[in-house]
Amino acid sequence: MSIQPIGPVAGPLRITAPAGVEAASPGNAAEVFGNLLTQGVDTLQQTQANADALAVQAATGDLQDAHDYMAASTEAALATQMTVAIRDKAVAAFTEIMRLQG
Amino acid sequence: MSGGPFRAIGIASTGVTVYRKWLDAVSDNISNLNNATTTAGEAFRERFVIAQAVDYGSGNGGVQVGGIELGSAEGRLVHEPDHPLADENGYVRYPDIDLGSQMSQLMMAQRGYQANLSVVDRAYDAYQAALQLGRNS
Repeated sequence: MSIQPIGPVAGPLRITAPAGVEAASPGNAAEVFGNLLTQGVDTLQQTQANADALAVQAATGDLQDAHDYMAASTEAALATQMTVAIRDKAVAAFTEIMRLQG
Repeated sequence: MSGGPFRAIGIASTGVTVYRKWLDAVSDNISNLNNATTTAGEAFRERFVIAQAVDYGSGNGGVQVGGIELGSAEGRLVHEPDHPLADENGYVRYPDIDLGSQMSQLMMAQRGYQANLSVVDRAYDAYQAALQLGRNS
């Protein structure tokens, strides 16, 4: 009678990187993080530009909906907060690494 | 605006736009409620806002105004012989719009407007909580 080996245990779901972002390996982790940061800054720039355009419309009286500007500026504020949060994490990681030497 | 990590805000704001247009339509209906015309002419036609979902599969959730439909131009004939626009039988034409129904539509439009704005508010709080994640570690 042959003994069946025990199959692999189904572990927790593997976390995969979102499309367009390479999976992190020690070698390219910095690069992946850099891409994330670049994407964050791009999103920020886009939402800021949108809010700016609506602010100009509000000033010139072309704005149809007051809430459009409010929603756009809210979104821009959130995008700014997100970019700042990512930056903070990057700086924290860098400081932590630098502390290894001391 | 579509895309981006904070999509709920953009979606809810399309809802606010639709309800704003509904408010416009209701105010148009109420302001023209008592327009008398000659029996030969058309009565003011009630405005109906037709709201449609923006297909979520396209990546743009939300709602939009598909168009404005107009009610009947027939209106109702009222006997007002003293009216300068009255015909030889003494009739003028008024729009057949019910003020009671307009007032309840007004309330629905106002509540819908506010509901969508509170979605924006709540979504802002929720997103902000996500950005605070791990801030204190």
